[in-house]
Amino acid sequence: MKLRLRLALTAVAVAVPAVFALVQVEHSVRRRTTDEVIIASTLSQMQSGGRERCEAAPETWMVRARSPQRPPWEREGLPDGTGPAAGGPRPGDEGPPRMGTRGPLGRRLPPVNLYPFDGQFVSRNPQAPALDDELRKGVQDDGVGVRRYSKADGALVQDLLLRMPWDGGPCEYVLARRVEPAESPEVGLPPLYVWGVPTLILLSAMVVALGPVVQRLRRLTDEVRASSGSGYEQPVTVSGSDEIAELARAFQQARAEIQAQMAHQQAREQTLRDFLANTTHDVMTPLTVLQGHLAAMQQRMRAGEPLESGLMLSAMSEAHYMASLVHNLGAAARLEAGAPQVQHAPVDLNALVSRVLGRHQPIARPQRIALESGVPATPTWVMGDETLLEQAVSNVVLNGIRYGREDGHVAVVLEKTRQQTFHLRVIDDGPGISEEERSRILERRFRGNEARTREPQGQGLGLHIVHNVVELHGWKMTLAPSEYGGLEVAFTGPLMSPPE
Amino acid sequence: MGDRILLVEDDDPLGSQIVGHLRGAGFEPVWWREGRLLVSGHLPDVSLVVLDLMLPGTYGLDMLKALRTFSEVPVLILSARNDTLDKVRALKLGADDYMTKPFWPEELVERVRARLRRPTLQKEQTVVEVGPLRIDLQGHSVQVQGRPVELTRVEFELLAALARRSQEAVTRQWLVEHVLDPEREGTERTLDVHVSRLRRKLGPVKCVETVWGVGYRLVPGEDA
Repeated sequence: MKLRLRLALTAVAVAVPAVFALVQVEHSVRRRTTDEVIIASTLSQMQSGGRERCEAAPETWMVRARSPQRPPWEREGLPDGTGPAAGGPRPGDEGPPRMGTRGPLGRRLPPVNLYPFDGQFVSRNPQAPALDDELRKGVQDDGVGVRRYSKADGALVQDLLLRMPWDGGPCEYVLARRVEPAESPEVGLPPLYVWGVPTLILLSAMVVALGPVVQRLRRLTDEVRASSGSGYEQPVTVSGSDEIAELARAFQQARAEIQAQMAHQQAREQTLRDFLANTTHDVMTPLTVLQGHLAAMQQRMRAGEPLESGLMLSAMSEAHYMASLVHNLGAAARLEAGAPQVQHAPVDLNALVSRVLGRHQPIARPQRIALESGVPATPTWVMGDETLLEQAVSNVVLNGIRYGREDGHVAVVLEKTRQQTFHLRVIDDGPGISEEERSRILERRFRGNEARTREPQGQGLGLHIVHNVVELHGWKMTLAPSEYGGLEVAFTGPLMSPPE
Repeated sequence: MGDRILLVEDDDPLGSQIVGHLRGAGFEPVWWREGRLLVSGHLPDVSLVVLDLMLPGTYGLDMLKALRTFSEVPVLILSARNDTLDKVRALKLGADDYMTKPFWPEELVERVRARLRRPTLQKEQTVVEVGPLRIDLQGHSVQVQGRPVELTRVEFELLAALARRSQEAVTRQWLVEHVLDPEREGTERTLDVHVSRLRRKLGPVKCVETVWGVGYRLVPGEDA
């Protein structure tokens, strides 16, 4: 009901000044009409015998409009003091039509008194009211002087000073005076029906016009609530071409946007759940193997048997793998987060290769896999994220170690070319990867649960990260059989000028 | 007496382990268990500092910043945060190297050795001695156990290139591009032939070592 209350208050706020303005207009129109009637009537009477009577007896000449209820002794020309005995028909009663013309709206006007004045605005009738400058100036400028004022008792006095069409004589000017009693409806508001009916009509029209609007708003509200209740599945279908339909279409667009956001959110949550499930598996499996090895070592120690070096090596290998896995998870999170988390800075690939091989030497030596590297004599600078790049190269090297054969090799060769690019190759002599698997690994968006399995050939999160890091840096990566019977992974990218 | 190494590490088990391995490798470790405000005169006389990044009491990088106001000692940063921004900041504040946990002890020892070895790099020498070999880079002469060896231009250039980066692997591609005459003989196969001839002329010493997948390396050899 708040909207309706506002509309009701608005209607009242509009109606009141409208009625007030209407009253003002009505008063103005009535006043102008009354003036015109009085002027016309006065001129008509003076030109039809009034002049002669006025000039014959200017001291006593005064016209009072007769009313049917008035006594006959008040006829024009007679002093008020005359007794009823003086009444009766006389010659001269017949003559011009009497005053008492009907005014606007068909109502009889109050009586109008006429008083004569000469060219100097002096009247011989002692009962004539005094003239002020306003009246004199008005009649001299416009032919008619108008004056209106209210008496103490609330009655409205209206004076009209008219100039006659003749010159000279005691009746050159005539003042017409009319007094409107206080209780007259002309003084205050017009009758109720004058302004009540339009107001009622206006209010009715507003109520009728608002009916459909309120109904449509209510329907829109219901539809929006239903859409919200259904998880924004249900569309908002208010139709039409007005503003409410426009609002409905805006709600519809908001609904579609919300639905898209919810779908995106659900997809991300599903991705995160898959990621966590697969990652848990990736971490728990080597951890289980590690626990098994530790338990076996503990049993052998308790039995006094010497520790088997194979168990120790396997334990080290699993621990190393888990460390690499944790780093890969961190790298994956950074790659997923995008640009704000990836920090590009000058990176010396010579030092990076040295660190990677240093990290993996302890795990390669027990497997009798030789790690070798060859780098240029001077630093090889590129622009990139050092952590991600190191993790990518590390993943490739670790794959070579874990799945290489005993007494095998893994070599990292870094070279600069004349085209201002670097060429980094990781070469092994272990089992290679078939052409089909190589192309599958290089597929764009190589995703899915397969990417997280540790078998075969170590394809998994590690290679997934390698691919993403290469793509992120705008490098190029190729897989090829190595001339030593294994796999060769090659990276190419632009060099940068040495930082200062 | 080995080099003294200052270790700043708050984790007792890890600190004990690192101290043990450094001592086993021949170094003399000094272990601080908490971060301190470093000022000139308070730093022990050490050859290298191993500094953990996350320390109670003070941030590792703040220690590094203070240290660099009065000392040029090599600093190796340890951190569990594998974060590029941290690495970039550490290097800008003057760290020399960066190691991410977890690491193998031998990795740390090797990194310390590499950092201590680096300042001993000298300007390019005119004479390089590797085991039984003596190579005069300016005089273009080679001696094996004091006996002159006659080499062709290509063979000498090959040996000189390896000698300039003694004990480092040099890639085949680099040798092909910088040693062989690009107009006449420019393949890795040709390079291998020249290496074979060079080895034969050097006789029983085995100073030119093949690096699998990479190229060749000049080493002291076993027969000395």
